[in-house]
Amino acid sequence: MEILSFLVSFGTLYSIYLILASSMELEYGELGLPSFAKAAFLALGAFTVGALSVRVGALILGLALEGEFKLTSYFYATLITRQIASHPLLGLVIFALPFAVAVPLAALLGAAVTYPALRLREDYLAITLIAFSEIVRVLARNYEPLVGGTFGAGVVNPFAWLGSPWRELVLFLVSLAMGFGIWLLTFKISTSPLGRILRAIRDDEIAAKAYGLDVAKVRAWVLAVGSAMAAVAGVLYAFYMGAVNPDDFTVSRTFIVVLMVVLGGRGNPYSPLVGAGIYLLIDRAMIFVKHLLPIPFDVNYASYVILGALLIVLLIKRPGGLVPERPLLTVKEIVNISERGDETLLFHKRE
Amino acid sequence: MLDVIIGAVVYSNFLALLSIGLCLTILTSRVSSFAHGDLAMVGVYTAYTLSAALGLSPYLCLPAAFAVGGFVALLSFALVFEPLRRAGAGPVTLMVASLALDMVIRYSLHIYADLLQRTFNVYGRDFMFNDARLLVGGVSIPGALIGSSLTASVLLVMLYLLLYRTKLGVAMRATIENQQLAMVLGINVRRVFAISWFISGALAATAGVFLPFRLLVNPDTGWSMLLSMFASVIVGGVGSLLGSVLGAYLIGSSELLFSYLLASLGISTAYRPLVVFAAIVATLMLSPRGLSILWSNGVKGSWRS
Repeated sequence: MEILSFLVSFGTLYSIYLILASSMELEYGELGLPSFAKAAFLALGAFTVGALSVRVGALILGLALEGEFKLTSYFYATLITRQIASHPLLGLVIFALPFAVAVPLAALLGAAVTYPALRLREDYLAITLIAFSEIVRVLARNYEPLVGGTFGAGVVNPFAWLGSPWRELVLFLVSLAMGFGIWLLTFKISTSPLGRILRAIRDDEIAAKAYGLDVAKVRAWVLAVGSAMAAVAGVLYAFYMGAVNPDDFTVSRTFIVVLMVVLGGRGNPYSPLVGAGIYLLIDRAMIFVKHLLPIPFDVNYASYVILGALLIVLLIKRPGGLVPERPLLTVKEIVNISERGDETLLFHKRE
Repeated sequence: MLDVIIGAVVYSNFLALLSIGLCLTILTSRVSSFAHGDLAMVGVYTAYTLSAALGLSPYLCLPAAFAVGGFVALLSFALVFEPLRRAGAGPVTLMVASLALDMVIRYSLHIYADLLQRTFNVYGRDFMFNDARLLVGGVSIPGALIGSSLTASVLLVMLYLLLYRTKLGVAMRATIENQQLAMVLGINVRRVFAISWFISGALAATAGVFLPFRLLVNPDTGWSMLLSMFASVIVGGVGSLLGSVLGAYLIGSSELLFSYLLASLGISTAYRPLVVFAAIVATLMLSPRGLSILWSNGVKGSWRS
């Protein structure tokens, strides 16, 4: 039973990271954008849940929220969860609403925030996104009515009506379906002509422009789609954790998602599947080791040092990752033909 | 109000030394390093360790911070950015690597802070340095104001002399201008990169020593100031060392004035990064070449696409 609950928990987290890694693969792996605000868009989804689940639940049930939100949100979350146990429909509304709010908002913000930097070199984009990411966190941390500031906010359990083992299992299955759905979307984009456009821009922006591609527009679209995906992950993450805390969404989280994509193999659509899995295994292994070894400092620090070093070593020694991007077949053929000379080229064509 | 002005000058001196170093590495080795703020904290912890172990005044630790900061920056160039450059990594890969380097340095400092706390029985985080106050014309002035202004101006003048009065400076400027041409002319570009990384780290760490005089510091402080550094570089017009210094004073003073304004309106000063973000967005929207349009009209710099 314990094994099963571990697997369900692991699987839910894997699905969430699969969504994040898919969006990073699309933005960074395929288009080559330093998408350094992943944590902010994840946070956007989570904050929507934190700010809405209790308030909407109370609104529908006709409860008046008393006292400061930061102090009472956990209490009301428990209260509403108990009500949901007998009202499945209420749970479904609370589960669906954050998606409807967060996803369009993230898509809009993803394109709007980066608008000033879209036409400039990637460095500007990276710094604008990092600035945005920190500002989202700082605002949420200090503006307490939103998600309770440093207190965090309680989140309603929308599947409370299913009872103990089933509600976790259903959240897992829903996350898994969304995770694979979004990964499949990334896969389809990557293997379609659109994917070739993205990689063309990544490999040679000037050449892509010369072919008539509107680079800024493509970037804006991909950032909108990627940010919307991250918001989906954020909503699931908040329901999975059962609480929202602004300090959970630092740049370290963005870094972890970048690590997954590099580990898997930038530019290969299978990289999110591989990268997210291996990262989570490393993470669990480190937690396991933590209990075995007496270390005179906080082990979380050591794990970030190790992961940072791992990413650097990967970039130097194995930039392709575990499943490297496959070069286009056409390039290979052209090289072969040019080696054979003109006559064979004609012959080859007639074949 | 006087305290706000003093704070603004000390903070701007700090930013100036950091952003000119950041600008130098962007110009020479084309790395927009997200680990630059952490180099300042390397300086802070070097000075803090020496003053905890030997009881030295932080001012006497400045040369040590200079050396250690330069060494750490040199090491990160040799171990991270040079191998990547050889492998032909693009600017985005270099940025991702610098993000990873930030993780390594920042969390190593956290571990170091824990160990420091155990070894010397001092606070590993959220500490400040005691500052001497000097009486100038009947007004009591904190030593950090004079110390950081002197240090910043001496170091900036020395950097100017290095760049414009020595043969090495000519080689560095040639590398900035055109890397391939510099190589053709027999300039050891790799040495130029290494030297500019050393200078960049040394300036950052030296500047860092003045931070604990004004505020409580921990290993994350440098990272949280990274935005201000990049904002200074962007406002100055990327590609201009002079611009980044001017940008630093502009950003530094507007940040402190903004937080003074927030405090007098009764709003949390934590919203301070908003003004930095606004400065970045405004510069990119209105004049991506920043302040440098005031004195240069040619298309220069490495951040143009």
